[in-house]
Order: sequence, then structure tokens, then C-alpha cells
Amino acid sequence: MYPTRGGDDKLDSLLRAYRAACPDREPSANFMPGLWRRIEARQSNIFSFERMVRGFVTAAAAVTIAIGVYVSLPRATPATGVSYLEALADANTLDTPEIVGPVRLDWNEPGR
Amino acid sequence: MLVEFELIRRAQQGDSAAFNGIVLAYRKRIMGTINRLIARTEDVEDVAQEVFLRLYFSLDQLRAAEVFEPWLHRLTVNAAYDYLRKQRRRPEFRMSDLSEQQVMMADAVAGGKVEHDEQQQKKVRETVDSLLGAVSEADRVLLLMKEVEGLSLRELEKIYRVKENALKVRLFRARQRVLKAFETEEQQNQNG
Repeated sequence: MYPTRGGDDKLDSLLRAYRAACPDREPSANFMPGLWRRIEARQSNIFSFERMVRGFVTAAAAVTIAIGVYVSLPRATPATGVSYLEALADANTLDTPEIVGPVRLDWNEPGR
Repeated sequence: MLVEFELIRRAQQGDSAAFNGIVLAYRKRIMGTINRLIARTEDVEDVAQEVFLRLYFSLDQLRAAEVFEPWLHRLTVNAAYDYLRKQRRRPEFRMSDLSEQQVMMADAVAGGKVEHDEQQQKKVRETVDSLLGAVSEADRVLLLMKEVEGLSLRELEKIYRVKENALKVRLFRARQRVLKAFETEEQQNQNG
């Protein structure tokens, strides 16, 4: 079923009647105070959120600086500035017999 | 325009008195539009306050005072649309859902006899409200802005930021759906 032209006109007049049945309304006396209360409530929410965000940003910046300082500080560890070979040599000095002693060959060893 | 551009510029700079001036100039018109868009008298003021609240916090984004009215219409349409979407999730009884006897009883409980004109107006409101149930909330708002609020396609183009042709197609389809519902209802009334 397709809408008809007559139906179109009737719908137009119904919508005009609807416009007349719903005239512009006068607001209540509480309209402006209520509106400003809502504005202030929203503003205070925005303000608290901003303050919270600012707090987080400050804390994050402080932590970043602290980590930076900690990482850049020279450490007093014995291995600092020493190569692997130097460290190895320090741990095994020349007087260690089992490394630097002469190799002894036993010709009477069975199987030779 | 109901206000001077200067008043809008002052409100944009944070002048509360200027903002009050804008609200006072437009609130009656905005409440009328919302009343027709949402068809719930008890919530009109609340939605109108939401419109002006959004206006207050978005006024600094308005580039030119000349486009203030389409901007305000846009905020009104969005607030009404948001309200209608919320209402869809909250089912409730409406007068159009009740039988004739129940309506009479409800009227009697509500305080006795209502004037003939008022009853007629109420019937018109309920009929249109029920017919607009044939389209989505977005189309309902668009159709009412065009057919009842009397906005031109050019004004709607500014409000919706959609090309005129796309709006025409959407309006045509929505109107056809409402018309079909209207004719079906008329036929049922004639038969019953």
C-alpha cells in the first residue's frame, strides 16, 4: 500500500495541529538558578579532574627525574671501568699454582 | 537573531551577565522546540537546561557569532536525541498505550473533567507521538525540525552538517513511513 496525496495533506494538517497543541512554554522560576547550579557543579568536576591530572603529571615528572638522576650517578662497584680480561687476571693472580705451574708429564703412566 | 552579536562575543569571553542574557532570550523558544521533540512535558525544563549547559561549555568553540542560532539548534537536537535514546532504554506507560476506558479513569483520577480543547490537543499530541513511533529517534527529530519547527533545508544542512540532497532523501523516507502509519491508523479507525 502506497501513501496517497490526500493522506499527505491530512498529515500536514495534523502536524500543524501538533504545532498549535504544543506551544512555546514559559520556564519555571527555578530555571535560571537550576541552570547555574548545574554549570557550577560541572565546573567543579572539571576543576577536580584537572587538579588530579596535574597531580599525576607532576608525580610522573618527579619519578622520571629521580630515575634519570639514579641512572646517571657513578657507581662505586669494583668492576666499574675494568675490562673482563683485567677482572679475570685480578681474580687469578700469577702465583696461582694450578694455572701457571709447569705441566708435568708422567711417562710411566699406563697406556703410554 | 534574538540577541546582538556583541552579546554572544561577550559571553564567549566569559561574561556571565551576557550568557544570562542569551539564555533569557532563547529559553522559551528552546523549551517549545524540546516540548515538541520529546513530547514529555515533565522533562522539558531539564533537557532545556542541558542545552544551555552544553552551550556554556562549548561557546568558546563557536567561530563566528553569525552561526550562533544553527549552533544552538544543533545543541537542542543533540540533547533531545540523547534524551529520547535514554528513554527508549526505560520503558514506561504512555497514555496512547492505555485503552479508552483506562484513559477516562486516569483522567478522572487526575482531577476530573478536562476541557474539550485540551482533550483535543492531548489527542493530537498523542496521535503524532504514536505516528512518529514508526521512525527512528533521529528521523523523528529531523522530521519535526523540518515539518513542525519549520526550519529550511539550508538551516538543517548547517545543523546536521550533511548535504542537502542526503537530508532530502532521509526526510522523504521518514515522511513516507509516518504517512503509511497514518493511513493504516485511519483505515483501522474507519473499520473499527
